[in-house]
Amino acid sequence: MFRKILIANRGEIALRVMFACKELGIRTVAVYSEADRHSLHVRFADEAICIGPARSGESYLNIPHVISAAEIANVDAIHPGYGFLSENANFAEVCEASHITFIGPSPGVIRLMGEKDRARAEMAAAGLPVIPGSPGVVPDEDAAKKIAAEVGFPLMVKASEGGGGRGMRVVRESGELIPMFHTARAEAQQAFGSPNVYMEKLIERPRHIEFQVMGDRHGSVIHLGERECSIQRRHQKLLEESPSPGLNKPARERLGAQVVEALQKVGYSSAGTVEFLRDPSGKLYFIEMNARIQVEHPVTEMVTGVDLVKSQIRLAAGEKLGDVIGAFHPRGHSSNAASTPKTRIPSRLRRAALRPSACPADWECAWIRPRTPTR
Amino acid sequence: MAKKVANQAGAPARAGTVDLQEVERVLDFMQKHGLEEFEYERDGLALRLKKASAAAHGAHGAPAAVEHRWAAPAAHPAPVAPPAALHEAEVGTEDLHLVKSPIVGTFYASANPGAEPLVTLGSKVEAGQVLCIIEAMKLMNEIESDVSGEIGRIFVENGQPVEYGEPLFGIRAHGKK
Repeated sequence: MFRKILIANRGEIALRVMFACKELGIRTVAVYSEADRHSLHVRFADEAICIGPARSGESYLNIPHVISAAEIANVDAIHPGYGFLSENANFAEVCEASHITFIGPSPGVIRLMGEKDRARAEMAAAGLPVIPGSPGVVPDEDAAKKIAAEVGFPLMVKASEGGGGRGMRVVRESGELIPMFHTARAEAQQAFGSPNVYMEKLIERPRHIEFQVMGDRHGSVIHLGERECSIQRRHQKLLEESPSPGLNKPARERLGAQVVEALQKVGYSSAGTVEFLRDPSGKLYFIEMNARIQVEHPVTEMVTGVDLVKSQIRLAAGEKLGDVIGAFHPRGHSSNAASTPKTRIPSRLRRAALRPSACPADWECAWIRPRTPTR
Repeated sequence: MAKKVANQAGAPARAGTVDLQEVERVLDFMQKHGLEEFEYERDGLALRLKKASAAAHGAHGAPAAVEHRWAAPAAHPAPVAPPAALHEAEVGTEDLHLVKSPIVGTFYASANPGAEPLVTLGSKVEAGQVLCIIEAMKLMNEIESDVSGEIGRIFVENGQPVEYGEPLFGIRAHGKK
């Protein structure tokens, strides 16, 4: 088991991971930018190292600084949290080269799931249903027209390096196709550094249903049920709940088995979320996979009783899936709401209502967890 | 003499964390009882005062809890008592230009193991001159001075891990008294 872990993140997820480490008897190392010097995650860690100025690009996203901090603190492993470097295959490779365990999937799998068109093709080949669309990247206008003729309108043009609800453009009729194809490519280049796009038929009025999965480093994968995240604002999830009202037991078992088989085929390990859209007729289609722990993971933890972060750590240390996650019986219902105040909350209310709570024991009640708590 | 020491004592390693009145009380105490050396530690502060009869004075404040190297920031900080040879300075740090680490890594005073340190206390340096090496991920990074002047203070020891923004050298820049 690891003696010491560096958490390459901040705010509530850093605290969440540190709580898990504490329960496992593992020492924690926080990293912080100069702006976050007085942050709660810095104070809670056993050790803390300043890794740069306020700008994330020069601190939390600065791979040499993070790795250097891990080296001077002599850690065994790095937990990347979510966002930041958590889905950066290059970072995972640098960790490995530096003999530090990256708590997450292998670099090759991260890279695969990060290229959304490749992930789609790979999952289709592994037996998961996908939305009708292009086989991969759409290279030019002719290819775009051909796919549109096969798939029909309305359709979506999606950035290969996008994901998370970003880099998507709707095309409702043939006149819009070519201009929108170029717009999407330009936006993708700007936002993600690659103009590559793929195309899918647009699913109208979908439900978003995602499966939580966990894999060990010995080839075993399980799923821990689903979360429904259909209520969104501008493609960002507002509410996540489990179980999904849109999934019955046979559908869950069938799709769950398909997900497990597909992920075992690609050699998935650690935590991950496989996302699907369900059309009004009930058909489910794979859209993408997030190869990391997610913000809303506690929803699944509450319903299953399984500590996903502790599991990640133990599995990264080489333990077998059956030893880490035994039998569990999902019960009850859990939901998580994300909120961004659009008006200023009076400070007296803020003090009363907003308290950091990364501890699983607290989630039985209704705490509000600020993403980046400072107190 | 006591006044000069007070000025030195009033320039702690981390400004704002030392209560000057407290230090003055300690100095009065030393004066009153004819003490040569006095070491004092309490929550958040460690002081070591030595009278001018020795080669140089040293007055040290412990870093604020949150900046203590690698320890739990909320815990009781241990006194930072650096070796006198490296850390004694003839003046406080107010008029020193601080050269801070731009990266995370390990500080080395010399270019090669066993070689002479690149600079020592009192060394005259030019802007652009290499002051030290910081090793990060097996790469040796040369840290240059951004001002010309004289090394007034060295904050770190050979082989010490340093974080981003950590003070390395205090340089008395040319043109300042």
